[in-house]
Parts: sequence; structure tokens; C-alpha cells
Amino acid sequence: MRYLQVIIILSIVSIPATANSLLIKSVDIYSSSGVEKNTNVLIENGQITEIGQRISHTADREIDGTGKSITAGLFNASTHIGAVEVSAIGATVDSYSENDSVTASLKIAEAFNPNSTLIPHNRTHGLTHALIVPDSATHLFSGQVGLIQLGANPRVVHDSLAVAVDFSEYGFELSGNSRAAALVELRQALDDAKDFSRNRKSALAGDHRDYELSYADLAALEPVVNGTKPLLVRTNRASDIKNILSVAREFQLKLILSSVLEGWMVADEIAAAGVPVIMDPINNLPRAYESLGARLDNAKLMSDAGVDLIFTGMGRSESHNAYLVRQSAGNAVANGLNKSAAIAAMTKNPATLFRASVSGDIIVDEVADLVMWSGDPLELTSEAELVIIEGKIIPMESRALQLRDRYFERLMQ
Amino acid sequence: MKLLIFRILVAMSLLLVAACNENTGSSVNVTRPNKDPYPSTYLLPTHAAFAIVNANILTGDGKELNDADLLIENGKITAMGSDLTLGLNIDQIQANGRWVTPGIIDVHSHMGVYSAPSTSNHSDGNEMTSPVTAEVWAEHSVWPGDPQFEKALAGGVTTLQILPGSGNLIGGRGVTLKNIPSITVQGMKFPGAPYSLKMACGENPKRVYGSRNTLPSTRMGNMAGYRKAWIQAAEYKKSWDEYIADSGNRSLSNTPTRNLRLETLSGVLEGDIRIHNHCYKADEMAQMIDMSKEFGYEIAAFHHAVEAYKAAPLLAKEGICGVMWADWWGFKQEAFDMVRENIALVDYAQGCAVIHSDDPIQVQRLNQEIAKAMSAGNRMGLDITPAKAIRWGTQNAAIALGLEDEIGSLAVGKNADIVLWTKHPLSVYSHASKVWVDGTLRYDRFDSSVQPTSDFNLGIIKAGGIRP
Repeated sequence: MRYLQVIIILSIVSIPATANSLLIKSVDIYSSSGVEKNTNVLIENGQITEIGQRISHTADREIDGTGKSITAGLFNASTHIGAVEVSAIGATVDSYSENDSVTASLKIAEAFNPNSTLIPHNRTHGLTHALIVPDSATHLFSGQVGLIQLGANPRVVHDSLAVAVDFSEYGFELSGNSRAAALVELRQALDDAKDFSRNRKSALAGDHRDYELSYADLAALEPVVNGTKPLLVRTNRASDIKNILSVAREFQLKLILSSVLEGWMVADEIAAAGVPVIMDPINNLPRAYESLGARLDNAKLMSDAGVDLIFTGMGRSESHNAYLVRQSAGNAVANGLNKSAAIAAMTKNPATLFRASVSGDIIVDEVADLVMWSGDPLELTSEAELVIIEGKIIPMESRALQLRDRYFERLMQ
Repeated sequence: MKLLIFRILVAMSLLLVAACNENTGSSVNVTRPNKDPYPSTYLLPTHAAFAIVNANILTGDGKELNDADLLIENGKITAMGSDLTLGLNIDQIQANGRWVTPGIIDVHSHMGVYSAPSTSNHSDGNEMTSPVTAEVWAEHSVWPGDPQFEKALAGGVTTLQILPGSGNLIGGRGVTLKNIPSITVQGMKFPGAPYSLKMACGENPKRVYGSRNTLPSTRMGNMAGYRKAWIQAAEYKKSWDEYIADSGNRSLSNTPTRNLRLETLSGVLEGDIRIHNHCYKADEMAQMIDMSKEFGYEIAAFHHAVEAYKAAPLLAKEGICGVMWADWWGFKQEAFDMVRENIALVDYAQGCAVIHSDDPIQVQRLNQEIAKAMSAGNRMGLDITPAKAIRWGTQNAAIALGLEDEIGSLAVGKNADIVLWTKHPLSVYSHASKVWVDGTLRYDRFDSSVQPTSDFNLGIIKAGGIRP
């Protein structure tokens, strides 16, 4: 009897992917602009065509959304999805390189594996896009940041959105164990990239001075020093954040900060510089001397100061369970952040900043990239019941679900 | 019951066995080594009797009571029910329908042995200098000033088992602590709590020692390593048992030489030290169970039991708790077969399902981890109520520690370890509002005078401020 009930529940979510139109009725929409309660959403051929109390068209399929909610598909802005399978098995890990001659030029997106088991697992829980950010292993420069889409045919949307730098205690360790040395190294690399950009031809011909970095690395930094591509800097201590803000001013860089555990201490300066931050709101422990000021209302305090937030999380599970960015966002709200701001930080803000092909919003005439949740979109007792990625309903299938079903059947015998 | 037996054993061990030496005709005092040489100094604080009234209560042992009252006297719950008649001298805390649970228990923590900041000087959790280090005791590494303890308290965690790490086959003794501020670890030690012994299956020990070209470098090496240790322990135990039994015929010079490593292992064979076994995979759990039968000891719990759902009927039959995360996976091959329904399925099979953190961030929100595990189970059609789910961090956790007679549920006679929540405890928006340990208010979210902070934080966090 109980098993029967299980089968029935599973069948509810298997909406045929072939339906050309879908009407979700009486549902609450949570977006960056607030909550629209008890409305209807019509999706035709993958586009949102109507939202409102009255819908003029009928649909091939209707779902009762009473008590349920819709958000845009979730983004996680700091993952290794597709570049790691089992973290402890080096052969499956392509998120960093121990080759010290490859730094800024490393493109993690070139290692992307669309068949990774992490992709179905995360998308069935509402994650539709993820930034893939390389880690440093030998040098301050970690490599280039990509954007992936986790649909039925997972793909790299952008292979080089930004160049990542590790200006945390770990990066300092790679840079001779001194913040001051790391700053010299960073400035030198940026100067070299500018020089290389001005003298590209002669440099490549071998008629110019030597550089510390390879030509490939300098070429990767060229759009950064020319102000067209952001430098994404992982850093935590308030004084380190200030140093990076001043380097960015000095070189007129586009800047994105990440981690920023002490960001709240210098929130006004980050906001004044118009620099967005990627952060996990869950971190509140003084796990390192660079994060003695870590606190749970870091997101709220930065948001209050006017900083644009983009979320990652949760904790150590940011790739395998990248969908738990939702839990981090829920905790940001529990600690004072406005709910719409929390939703925006994992939908519209990253979609806009990273030039995704979806809006990160629930808007008419936009491609449908959304999740229907069984309740409040940030509650952990709410489950993703329907996930549409770039207009296509994705099947609720994953390795974990197959394992569950195999062993539940045995338990029933 | 087990606890009672344990206490009798401890008491007996402390008694001198007086015997008459026939050879000399004089009396020789023969004694086993002291089993409690670093005793708890925790004293039950005195507090005024008080009541929490008009609360919704998840009792921690599977029940939900609505609009109920709790009476707390001398550290214990002395009455629970609707419309209790309360004397005029009883302070009343008006819950106004807010939710109350028992204090949350984390059976797997490394706080204090891997303190924050996580610098090398604070790396005190894993004596990876030999594959069997049963002689080390986690309590001898615990730094009570670890600023992480107070954040777990703010999350409603009142009891913690601090374990050594998993790099060794047998890593050493764990210790159960009350999560209260103290200058010494003895001041945190849970009086009368059984000792535990950390063992580890699988990848970690074979990686650590295999990389040094020493046993174990394989899973069969792991098994050989444990078995060798148990054989030595059995011999050691026999030598002491014979010494005590024959005390009348022996002189003091026959006293067996003390061996700390074997003393702890022997304590397991005697049944007074509980095995907490890091073991991810179902097949390895079955090996460990057979080995426990080979040498005659019991396993209290398998920790990080990512594959517990595959062995759920076996765990239920053997009475071994599965200690699990809600959703962690993929960091090692042995953690690859995670299902979010793991805890729910172990519970479904009538096993002892327990949530754990192993992490100073997650320990602050075990209520949320329980919420996720419950939701996964309900998603597949299992009918799990919050009252049942909360057991995973209360009663079942207490069973794993052998402390179910004292903590893990709200019932008359139990310790008054209580959390009053701001919202439903399984909501992401909920916080612990007040946390009592043995009837003493140890944390109040809305009163900075009841927000303990470590010495470490002084001068780092502004005076009077808190680290939320």
C-alpha cells in the first residue's frame, strides 16, 4: 500500500516533456521584484506567454499550483560542476592545475563534462545554471571562469566570463606567504599584461622583454587590463578587500569580489565602487585569521549598504550539492536579508551579470527557466516538483534517485 | 539499562578487591586501574523552579503535544502536560504557541580538537602516527575555548560527542560533553557518560598508512589491523581477569603491566566503552559486524553511514545506529552512493537513524538537516511527521551515546535540556530563542547577557557584541 502511494507521488512529477503548452494555476511567484500571490503562468513552446489572474488561452496540460511557488531557475556562482566527479580522485578533478606554467590562461570550461552525475542531481533540485570557477594551486591567478547550463543537454554558455585570482590566505601562501608580496605580484602581472597588449606583435616575435607569465597567460589577462572582462577576486579580510578595491581603481579594472567574509566591515566602500560580490551567507566562523569578523548577517549588512549580492553555497557542498545555495539564501533571510534580495542573489543578479541566455526572472515573452516548489521557495521542506531549463521540462531522474528506488524496492520485499 | 550496567562496572572497578594471600598469610590489595582518572567536575547549577507554558512540544521521542506546559525543577523535568497546576512561586515562561524541543545532540563533532581558527596549532584531532592509537583520548586535546562551541549552542545543541579523526583504524577515545562554557574540559564532561572508541573503515586509514608503505594499504589490511589489535586486547583482558580472579594466590609483584592502548580496547570487550565506527559502505559494515562477533563486543553506531540504506534491515536487526548526513556526497568514492532518503529509509526499516554534523557550520543548524532528510522521505511518499523526524537529533542520538535515560526526550525525570524556538524548528527561518542545559538558561537570542562568548573573541568582536 505504501509502495503504491510512492509510485503515485513519483508519477505526478513526470509531466510529459512533449507538451507544447503548460498552465500552472493559482501559484505564488517569487522574484527579485517581490511576491505575486495566487496567479497563473502560461508557458507555450518554452516561452512564458501570459502571467495573471485571467489567462486567455487553454493549455495542453494544467497543473494546480495551489500552495506552491515558482522562482526562476537557481544559479550557484561558485562551483566546479562538470570539472569534478569524486573530489578525492584526482583523475576526475579538473578545477585546478598543478602545472605552474598555466595560470590565467586555464579555462575550466574546456574540461567541462556534460555527462557528470552532478548535473542531473543538482538540476532535479532546481539548479539550472552554475558558474564554474577554477581554484589556484600554484599561483595567484586561478584561471578563467565559465558559465554552464544544466539542461537535458548541458552546455557551456560562456567559457571565459572573468579571470579568477585567489587573494585569500591560500593565495598569499602561493605568493611567498606575504600579502605585500602578493600585491606586488598582482600589480606586476597586470602591468605586464598591459605592456604585452601594447607590444603584442614584437613580444610574440621575441623582440620584446621577458615576462614572468607565459604569453598565453598574458593574453588571457589582456581583456582584463583593457577593462572589458572582470577580474574575479577571492578575498576575505577587510583590509585585503580594500587593497583589491584600490588595485582595481589604479588599473581601471572591472571587478567582482568573492567570498568576502569580512565584507560587511567595508560594505560602503564595496558599494561605492559598484562592485558585485559572490558570497555564501552561511559562513560565520573565525575559521581563519582572515575571517575573524565572519558573521551570519554579512549578506544583510552588505545589501543594506547597496552591494549587489550573488550567492553560492552551501558550505563545503558547493559543487556536489550546488542546489543548496537555496539553503544558504534561506539562512540569509533568517538573518535579516530581504527575501526578494535573497531570491535575486541566486536568479536575476547572476543571470544579468554573467550574461546568461535566461533573464533570471519570471517575465512574459522570456524563455521559461523556472522551478515550481511544493511550498515557500526557501523552506527546506519544499521540494522542486517541476524544473524547466531554457524552455524544456527536465526529467526528474538522477543516479541518487535510481539508487533510492532500487533499495526501496528491496526494503519492501 | 546499558547505562546502569556501565555504572555498576565503573563502581566495581573503583572498589579495591581485598584478598588474602595464602603464601604469606597477609592481606594484599589488588585493584584494576582507575577507569575514571579525569572525572567530570560539572556540577548541576542551582536554579529556581520554572515552567514553560502554552508551548507546542516535539517531545523528541516521537510525540507532539500542543498547548502544553513543562515544569522544571532542579535540572529535571518534573511535569509535562496541558494546564499544569503551577505554584505561585514558579516562574512562568510564556511560549505563546512557540515550539519546544529537547536540546539537540550532535554525536559526531570535532569542535575543540579542530578548533577555530583552523591553524596547524589547533590540529589536535588525529594522532596519525600509528594505525592503532586506542591509547589517545580526545578529551586530552579539547580546547574548551574553541569559539565554535558557542555557535552550536546558539543552534540549540546541548550535548556533543567529540571524536578523534578517522585517519587511523582505531583512532582513540571520544568524549561526551555538555555544551557549556568552561575553562576545563572536565567542567564540560557529561557526568557518567560512557566512553566511546573511534574506529574507521575504508579509504582514510588505508590512504594514510598506504602512502607510508605500511599496513594498512588495502581494505584487507584494514581488517587485519583491527583483528590484530583485538587479539592483543583479548590477551590483555585475560591477564587482568586472571590476576583479579587469582588475587588470593598472587603477590603485588604479579600485577600485569599497564598498557593504555590495550586498556581501552579491553574496556570495549568488557562492554563499557562504546564503538563509534566511521564506516560509509554497506559491505564494510557487514565485515565490522562479523568482526565484533568474532571478538565479542558490540557496535553502537556506524558514522557517515552514506550506504546505511543498503544495510538498513541488518542495522535494525543488530541494533546498531546509522549516523548520517542529510545529503553530503561525492568527496570520496565511498561517499558516492548517497541518497537524500538515507535517514528516512533507515527509520522506515525500524533502525536507529541519527543525524550528525561532523562540521562546525552544520552543527549550528541540525534542525535544518533534519528538515531536509524528512522532506526527502516525504517526497517519496513516506509519511514522516516533524515529531518523528526530530528523533534523529534527539532520542536516537541519545541512544547512540548510551544516554537515552537522561537526555534526548522531554519526559518526567529527564534532564531539562530544552530549546525554545522562534518558529517551527524545521523551518529555515527558525532560530533557537532560549536554550537550557539541565534547567539552566545557557543561551538567549534576545538577551546579550546570556550569550556566552569565548575568550578568543574578546577584542575581536566589539565589547557587548556578538558574532551572529
